[in-house]
Amino acid sequence: MKDLVLMKGIKKSFGKVQALKGVDFRVGESEIVGLLGDNGAGKSTLIKILVGYHQPDEGEIYFKGERVNFRSPWDARAAGIETVYQDLALVNLMPIWRNFFLGRELRTSLGFLKVREMKKITLEFLKKEVGITLRSADETVAFLSGGERQAVAIARAIYFGASLLILDEPTAALSVGETRMILNHILEAKKKGIAVVFITHNIYHVYEVADRLVLLEKGEKIGDYMKDEITPEKVMDIIAAAALGKP
Amino acid sequence: MKKKRFFMIKELGAIIGTVVFLIFFSIMNRNFLTVENLMSTLTMASELGIMAVGITLLMISGEFDLSVGSVFAIVPMISAISINSNMNPILAVSLSLLVAIGIGIMNGVITIFTGIPSFITTLGTMMFWRGIILAVTGGFSIMLEKKVGFLNLFGGLIVGEIRFSTVWFMLFAILFGIILERTRFGNWCFATGGNLGASIALGIPVKSVKMTNFIVSSLLAGISGITTFARFKVVDPTFGQGMELEAIASAVIGGTLLSGGYGSILGTFIGAFMIGMVQSGLVLIGAPAYWYRAFVGVILVIAAIINSWIRKRVAG
Ligand SMILES: Nc1ncnc2c1ncn2[C@@H]1O[C@H](COP(=O)(O)OP(=O)(O)O)[C@@H](O)[C@H]1O
Ligand SMILES: [Mg+2]
Repeated sequence: MKDLVLMKGIKKSFGKVQALKGVDFRVGESEIVGLLGDNGAGKSTLIKILVGYHQPDEGEIYFKGERVNFRSPWDARAAGIETVYQDLALVNLMPIWRNFFLGRELRTSLGFLKVREMKKITLEFLKKEVGITLRSADETVAFLSGGERQAVAIARAIYFGASLLILDEPTAALSVGETRMILNHILEAKKKGIAVVFITHNIYHVYEVADRLVLLEKGEKIGDYMKDEITPEKVMDIIAAAALGKP
Repeated sequence: MKKKRFFMIKELGAIIGTVVFLIFFSIMNRNFLTVENLMSTLTMASELGIMAVGITLLMISGEFDLSVGSVFAIVPMISAISINSNMNPILAVSLSLLVAIGIGIMNGVITIFTGIPSFITTLGTMMFWRGIILAVTGGFSIMLEKKVGFLNLFGGLIVGEIRFSTVWFMLFAILFGIILERTRFGNWCFATGGNLGASIALGIPVKSVKMTNFIVSSLLAGISGITTFARFKVVDPTFGQGMELEAIASAVIGGTLLSGGYGSILGTFIGAFMIGMVQSGLVLIGAPAYWYRAFVGVILVIAAIINSWIRKRVAG
């Protein structure tokens, strides 16, 4: 499978904390990769480096075959990487349509926002893509449930034609039903040719939809399996053993 | 649903408050509802309001500026000294407004690049610049020693009792109202103050958003100072002391959140008008001037309570 993302020998320290100790990571085109590991394993740091939120201390990053060095998430978005963070996905006090188009606002030639058009697109796209029916695009995000918020963020990524969608613990705070919904959205995204990196510390949330599983522990990659090579129980054992083994 | 829409009006508290005070003062004194009084109220509201518009923009993007009261004094002070020493008035005013911009840049740079809360940064610069003013003037007022027609464009009468400061206020309120609600930059202001982490993650240039607003806040405070100076033709070293709090109060009364991410220029406009009304209303009903601050304090707290209650309905 052709590589969409290739990260080689990524190292990153925060002061004395060595968050990543030389990690290799790859994502194939329209592949769903589950990135697993305990809290503090370095999962979020790895993808924040990929999208330019942090800069790596060492290592190389390739996207679509080209060496990249995103200076900020803005550059990564421009290249087609959309990221949905658990708490950093949306701005609660802002209307849904403003969130949907944040950073990618539609503007007239004079620079004014095309408010009506953006509201219309938001309503229609959310309904069509993730089945959320809003009474008004002016409602603030705060009125949405946790699952709906994730869905809005995913829909946003799809709308803007991302080729890679990164979800950081999207299901951590969700009910079983909502988790189910998010998994369906992920499969839908894959059908559209979008690759997905799904970060979680719960193997059961990702096992069903993932093509490949990457295991991270204490800043090191401790496993990289095609899904059919491994059972969820085995994955849990490996992570637990690594967590215990090296204090 | 209808009911909820109603509560979604950001300026609701300010509108109700203004109506209440309007009724209260006009019952207390028949002269309150005269054109003359309303115009002088408008002048006071405008001079404060120009400053408050800048503060609102900055507060929405999640930062504070306590130094605006000092900028309000230092800008006309530089203008007055320069004009008195025969500098071209237009040049003098431009120069002093450049200083305001410089102060804004300084506030922004210190806050953004050290990570100190802007509350502290600007508390520091507020005291610093006030100290400079007192040192330079030795505590004495500076009078404008000549007639300067150009200054009428800031503080002079335009028609009847309406002053140019009111025109400036309206212009700035409309300009920044449109910028806030109808441009990408405005969207970014709300986002930056509403959820800084999410804004960074979405690639919003939060530092330049904040920087711009520190500059706007300082510049408008300077212009506000010029309008008052143009009306009185004198600068006192205590000019604008405590005014930063009135400007913040205008914004909060108008629905702007202290925590950022929410607010409106229209609300601030109404908030500034309400404070102006209290000021002139208390004079008319013969209350000692000291009562003014106490009154504004009470209004501020009530407004903040009402707003937090409204916000819960808007944003859970
Ligand atoms: N901005 C930061 N500053 C300091 N330490 C950090 C920062 N981000 C992450 N870390 C540390 O790096 C390690 C990995 O964190 P993280 O990548 O968030 O783990 P995970 O997402 O797997 O739970 C943790 O020890 C965490 O405390
Ligand atoms: Mg994490």
